[in-house]
Amino acid sequence: MHYFSQSFDYDHSWAHVIIGMWHKYPNPHCSHVVTVDVVDRSVDPCSGIIRTERVLGCKQRTPTWIVKLFGGSEDAFVREISFVDPSTQTTTISSVNLSLSQFATCHEKILYSPAAGGRTAFHQTAEIQTRMVMWRTAADKLENWLAVRFEQNAQLGKVGFTDVLRQLWEDAKDKSPAGTPAPA
Amino acid sequence: MAHSLEERCTPLKLEYDSCFNSWFEGYLEPAVSASASPENRAEYSKAKAEEYERKCGKIWESYRDCVQKAVKDKGLDDLLDQARKENPLKEPPRTS
Repeated sequence: MHYFSQSFDYDHSWAHVIIGMWHKYPNPHCSHVVTVDVVDRSVDPCSGIIRTERVLGCKQRTPTWIVKLFGGSEDAFVREISFVDPSTQTTTISSVNLSLSQFATCHEKILYSPAAGGRTAFHQTAEIQTRMVMWRTAADKLENWLAVRFEQNAQLGKVGFTDVLRQLWEDAKDKSPAGTPAPA
Repeated sequence: MAHSLEERCTPLKLEYDSCFNSWFEGYLEPAVSASASPENRAEYSKAKAEEYERKCGKIWESYRDCVQKAVKDKGLDDLLDQARKENPLKEPPRTS
Protein backbone atom coordinates (compact mmCIF):
# COMPACT_ATOMS: atom_id res chain seq x y z
CA MET A 1 0.00 0.00 0.00
CA HIS A 2 1.11 3.56 -0.73
CA TYR A 3 0.17 6.40 1.57
CA PHE A 4 0.28 10.08 0.70
CA SER A 5 -0.54 13.11 2.79
CA GLN A 6 -0.06 16.84 2.68
CA SER A 7 -1.32 19.81 4.71
CA PHE A 8 -1.09 23.52 4.17
CA ASP A 9 -3.20 26.68 4.54
CA TYR A 10 -4.99 28.71 1.92
CA ASP A 11 -4.91 32.49 2.43
CA HIS A 12 -8.68 32.80 2.29
CA SER A 13 -11.52 32.37 4.74
CA TRP A 14 -13.24 29.01 4.98
CA ALA A 15 -16.39 30.33 3.25
CA HIS A 16 -14.38 31.80 0.38
CA VAL A 17 -12.49 28.55 -0.13
CA ILE A 18 -15.70 26.50 -0.11
CA ILE A 19 -17.44 28.86 -2.54
CA GLY A 20 -14.31 28.64 -4.70
CA MET A 21 -14.38 24.84 -4.56
CA TRP A 22 -17.16 24.73 -7.16
CA HIS A 23 -15.08 26.95 -9.48
CA LYS A 24 -11.90 24.85 -9.42
CA TYR A 25 -12.40 23.22 -12.84
CA PRO A 26 -11.70 23.67 -15.69
CA ASN A 27 -8.21 24.63 -14.64
CA PRO A 28 -5.12 25.09 -16.83
CA HIS A 29 -2.96 23.58 -14.07
CA CYS A 30 -5.20 20.52 -13.80
CA SER A 31 -5.92 19.87 -17.45
CA HIS A 32 -6.28 16.14 -16.65
CA VAL A 33 -9.76 16.87 -15.23
CA VAL A 34 -11.92 17.34 -18.32
CA THR A 35 -15.49 16.80 -17.12
CA VAL A 36 -17.33 17.34 -13.85
CA ASP A 37 -20.89 16.18 -13.23
CA VAL A 38 -23.13 16.36 -10.20
CA VAL A 39 -24.99 13.04 -10.02
CA ASP A 40 -26.68 13.60 -6.65
CA ARG A 41 -27.10 16.52 -4.28
CA SER A 42 -29.13 17.22 -1.16
CA VAL A 43 -29.55 20.16 1.18
CA ASP A 44 -30.52 18.89 4.63
CA PRO A 45 -33.42 21.06 5.86
CA CYS A 46 -32.48 20.44 9.51
CA SER A 47 -28.69 20.46 9.70
CA GLY A 48 -27.99 22.65 6.68
CA ILE A 49 -25.38 20.14 5.50
CA ILE A 50 -24.98 19.92 1.73
CA ARG A 51 -24.06 16.52 0.37
CA THR A 52 -22.84 16.39 -3.23
CA GLU A 53 -21.92 13.34 -5.27
CA ARG A 54 -19.94 14.10 -8.40
CA VAL A 55 -18.31 12.13 -11.19
CA LEU A 56 -15.08 13.61 -12.50
CA GLY A 57 -13.76 12.57 -15.89
CA CYS A 58 -9.99 12.58 -16.29
CA LYS A 59 -7.82 12.19 -19.33
CA GLN A 60 -4.20 11.38 -18.81
CA ARG A 61 -1.70 9.46 -20.85
CA THR A 62 -1.70 5.89 -19.61
CA PRO A 63 1.48 3.81 -20.07
CA THR A 64 1.17 1.06 -22.65
CA TRP A 65 1.97 -1.69 -20.11
CA ILE A 66 -1.05 -0.69 -18.01
CA VAL A 67 -3.37 -0.69 -21.01
CA LYS A 68 -2.00 -4.10 -22.01
CA LEU A 69 -2.20 -5.65 -18.55
CA PHE A 70 -5.34 -4.07 -17.19
CA GLY A 71 -7.19 -2.80 -20.21
CA GLY A 72 -7.29 0.79 -19.01
CA SER A 73 -7.84 3.67 -21.36
CA GLU A 74 -7.09 7.37 -21.42
CA ASP A 75 -10.47 8.12 -19.90
CA ALA A 76 -10.73 7.56 -16.19
CA PHE A 77 -13.60 8.42 -13.88
CA VAL A 78 -13.64 9.25 -10.19
CA ARG A 79 -16.54 9.32 -7.72
CA GLU A 80 -16.39 12.18 -5.23
CA ILE A 81 -18.65 12.80 -2.22
CA SER A 82 -18.46 16.09 -0.36
CA PHE A 83 -20.18 17.32 2.79
CA VAL A 84 -20.28 21.03 3.49
CA ASP A 85 -21.28 21.63 7.13
CA PRO A 86 -21.69 25.34 7.89
CA SER A 87 -22.35 24.74 11.62
CA THR A 88 -18.92 23.18 12.24
CA GLN A 89 -17.25 24.91 9.30
CA THR A 90 -15.90 21.66 8.00
CA THR A 91 -15.91 20.34 4.49
CA THR A 92 -14.91 16.77 3.79
CA ILE A 93 -14.34 15.30 0.37
CA SER A 94 -13.92 11.55 -0.21
CA SER A 95 -12.96 10.28 -3.62
CA VAL A 96 -12.36 6.90 -5.17
CA ASN A 97 -11.48 5.80 -8.68
CA LEU A 98 -14.20 4.09 -10.71
CA SER A 99 -11.90 3.13 -13.57
CA LEU A 100 -9.46 0.26 -12.96
CA SER A 101 -11.24 -0.20 -9.65
CA GLN A 102 -11.33 -3.98 -10.03
CA PHE A 103 -7.52 -3.91 -9.81
CA ALA A 104 -6.61 -1.04 -7.54
CA THR A 105 -8.22 1.66 -5.43
CA CYS A 106 -7.11 5.16 -4.64
CA HIS A 107 -9.06 6.50 -1.67
CA GLU A 108 -8.53 10.20 -1.21
CA LYS A 109 -9.78 12.26 1.74
CA ILE A 110 -9.70 16.03 1.99
CA LEU A 111 -10.64 18.22 4.92
CA TYR A 112 -11.06 22.00 4.84
CA SER A 113 -11.40 23.72 8.20
CA PRO A 114 -10.80 27.25 9.54
CA ALA A 115 -7.23 28.06 10.60
CA ALA A 116 -5.75 30.96 12.56
CA GLY A 117 -5.68 34.40 10.96
CA GLY A 118 -8.71 33.91 8.75
CA ARG A 119 -6.97 31.22 6.76
CA THR A 120 -8.20 27.76 5.81
CA ALA A 121 -6.41 24.54 6.62
CA PHE A 122 -6.29 21.92 3.89
CA HIS A 123 -5.50 18.34 4.82
CA GLN A 124 -5.30 15.62 2.21
CA THR A 125 -4.56 11.92 2.50
CA ALA A 126 -4.60 9.16 -0.06
CA GLU A 127 -4.30 5.40 0.21
CA ILE A 128 -3.42 3.52 -2.92
CA GLN A 129 -3.83 -0.20 -2.81
CA THR A 130 -4.05 -3.04 -5.27
CA ARG A 131 -7.26 -4.88 -4.67
CA MET A 132 -6.72 -8.44 -5.74
CA VAL A 133 -4.04 -10.98 -5.35
CA MET A 134 -2.04 -10.61 -8.48
CA TRP A 135 1.39 -11.12 -9.79
CA ARG A 136 3.47 -9.22 -7.23
CA THR A 137 5.65 -7.27 -9.66
CA ALA A 138 2.65 -6.07 -11.63
CA ALA A 139 0.82 -5.06 -8.45
CA ASP A 140 3.83 -3.10 -7.15
CA LYS A 141 4.36 -1.46 -10.49
CA LEU A 142 0.70 -0.44 -10.77
CA GLU A 143 0.66 0.95 -7.23
CA ASN A 144 3.85 2.88 -7.86
CA TRP A 145 2.56 4.41 -11.04
CA LEU A 146 -0.74 5.41 -9.39
CA ALA A 147 1.11 6.89 -6.42
CA VAL A 148 3.49 8.95 -8.56
CA ARG A 149 0.64 10.22 -10.69
CA PHE A 150 -1.45 11.07 -7.62
CA GLU A 151 1.39 13.10 -6.11
CA GLN A 152 1.95 15.02 -9.32
CA ASN A 153 -1.76 15.79 -9.61
CA ALA A 154 -1.94 16.79 -5.94
CA GLN A 155 0.77 19.43 -6.47
CA LEU A 156 -0.98 20.71 -9.59
CA GLY A 157 -4.25 20.82 -7.66
CA LYS A 158 -2.69 23.10 -5.05
CA VAL A 159 -1.25 25.49 -7.63
CA GLY A 160 -4.44 25.43 -9.69
CA PHE A 161 -6.82 26.05 -6.79
CA THR A 162 -4.60 28.83 -5.40
CA ASP A 163 -4.96 30.59 -8.76
CA VAL A 164 -8.73 30.11 -8.83
CA LEU A 165 -9.11 31.56 -5.33
CA ARG A 166 -6.88 34.51 -6.18
CA GLN A 167 -8.89 35.28 -9.31
CA LEU A 168 -12.17 34.88 -7.50
CA TRP A 169 -11.45 36.94 -4.41
CA GLU A 170 -8.40 39.16 -4.97
CA ASP A 171 -8.13 40.16 -8.62
CA ALA A 172 -11.85 40.76 -8.71
CA LYS A 173 -12.47 42.38 -5.34
CA ASP A 174 -15.03 44.79 -6.76
CA LYS A 175 -16.61 42.19 -8.92
CA SER A 176 -18.72 39.34 -7.65
CA PRO A 177 -17.86 35.71 -8.44
CA ALA A 178 -19.43 34.37 -11.60
CA GLY A 179 -21.63 37.41 -11.98
CA THR A 180 -23.70 36.67 -8.89
CA PRO A 181 -24.23 38.80 -5.78
CA ALA A 182 -21.02 39.09 -3.79
CA PRO A 183 -21.10 37.31 -0.45
CA ALA A 184 -20.74 39.71 2.47
CA MET B 1 -17.49 25.77 -15.50
CA ALA B 2 -16.34 22.34 -16.61
CA HIS B 3 -18.25 20.43 -19.25
CA SER B 4 -20.42 17.39 -18.70
CA LEU B 5 -19.14 13.94 -19.61
CA GLU B 6 -21.89 14.01 -22.23
CA GLU B 7 -21.70 17.07 -24.48
CA ARG B 8 -25.47 16.97 -24.93
CA CYS B 9 -25.91 17.57 -21.17
CA THR B 10 -23.43 20.46 -20.97
CA PRO B 11 -25.93 23.31 -21.56
CA LEU B 12 -28.21 21.90 -18.81
CA LYS B 13 -25.20 21.39 -16.54
CA LEU B 14 -23.97 24.97 -17.00
CA GLU B 15 -27.41 26.34 -16.26
CA TYR B 16 -27.73 24.13 -13.17
CA ASP B 17 -24.21 25.01 -11.95
CA SER B 18 -24.83 28.73 -12.14
CA CYS B 19 -28.17 28.33 -10.36
CA PHE B 20 -26.55 26.31 -7.57
CA ASN B 21 -23.52 28.59 -7.27
CA SER B 22 -25.63 31.69 -7.08
CA TRP B 23 -27.80 30.10 -4.37
CA PHE B 24 -24.77 28.71 -2.52
CA GLU B 25 -22.93 32.03 -2.50
CA GLY B 26 -25.87 33.60 -0.72
CA TYR B 27 -26.30 30.60 1.55
CA LEU B 28 -22.93 29.82 3.08
CA GLU B 29 -21.89 32.79 5.19
CA PRO B 30 -25.31 33.43 6.76
CA ALA B 31 -25.49 29.67 7.42
CA VAL B 32 -22.30 29.89 9.46
CA SER B 33 -23.74 32.80 11.48
CA ALA B 34 -27.13 31.10 11.89
CA SER B 35 -25.39 28.10 13.45
CA ALA B 36 -24.82 30.02 16.68
CA SER B 37 -28.14 28.71 17.99
CA PRO B 38 -29.79 25.38 17.08
CA GLU B 39 -33.20 27.04 16.56
CA ASN B 40 -31.84 29.64 14.13
CA ARG B 41 -29.91 26.96 12.33
CA ALA B 42 -32.97 24.75 11.83
CA GLU B 43 -35.12 27.66 10.73
CA TYR B 44 -32.52 29.01 8.31
CA SER B 45 -31.70 25.58 6.88
CA LYS B 46 -35.36 24.80 6.25
CA ALA B 47 -36.02 28.12 4.52
CA LYS B 48 -32.88 27.83 2.40
CA ALA B 49 -33.49 24.19 1.44
CA GLU B 50 -36.93 25.25 0.19
CA GLU B 51 -35.46 28.21 -1.66
CA TYR B 52 -32.92 25.95 -3.37
CA GLU B 53 -35.68 23.58 -4.45
CA ARG B 54 -37.80 26.44 -5.72
CA LYS B 55 -34.98 28.12 -7.64
CA CYS B 56 -32.95 25.18 -8.94
CA GLY B 57 -35.26 22.14 -8.59
CA LYS B 58 -36.53 22.19 -12.13
CA ILE B 59 -33.22 22.64 -13.93
CA TRP B 60 -31.68 20.06 -11.58
CA GLU B 61 -34.24 17.45 -12.66
CA SER B 62 -33.57 18.09 -16.36
CA TYR B 63 -29.80 17.95 -15.89
CA ARG B 64 -29.97 14.89 -13.62
CA ASP B 65 -32.09 12.96 -16.13
CA CYS B 66 -29.60 13.79 -18.88
CA VAL B 67 -26.51 12.86 -16.87
CA GLN B 68 -28.05 9.68 -15.44
CA LYS B 69 -28.66 8.44 -18.96
CA ALA B 70 -25.13 9.43 -20.00
CA VAL B 71 -23.62 7.57 -17.03
CA LYS B 72 -25.54 4.47 -18.10
CA ASP B 73 -24.60 4.84 -21.77
CA LYS B 74 -20.92 5.05 -20.87
CA GLY B 75 -21.18 1.90 -18.76
CA LEU B 76 -20.32 3.80 -15.58
CA ASP B 77 -23.56 2.91 -13.78
CA ASP B 78 -22.31 -0.50 -12.62
CA LEU B 79 -19.03 0.95 -11.35
CA LEU B 80 -20.89 3.76 -9.60
CA ASP B 81 -23.38 1.34 -8.02
CA GLN B 82 -20.54 -0.83 -6.79
CA ALA B 83 -18.73 2.17 -5.28
CA ARG B 84 -21.98 3.26 -3.62
CA LYS B 85 -22.51 -0.20 -2.20
CA GLU B 86 -18.96 -0.38 -0.83
CA ASN B 87 -19.12 3.08 0.67
CA PRO B 88 -22.56 4.75 0.69
CA LEU B 89 -21.22 7.88 2.45
CA LYS B 90 -24.68 9.06 3.37
CA GLU B 91 -23.38 10.79 6.49
CA PRO B 92 -20.28 13.00 6.84
CA PRO B 93 -17.21 10.91 7.75
CA ARG B 94 -15.78 11.42 11.22
CA THR B 95 -13.01 14.00 11.19
CA SER B 96 -11.48 13.95 14.71
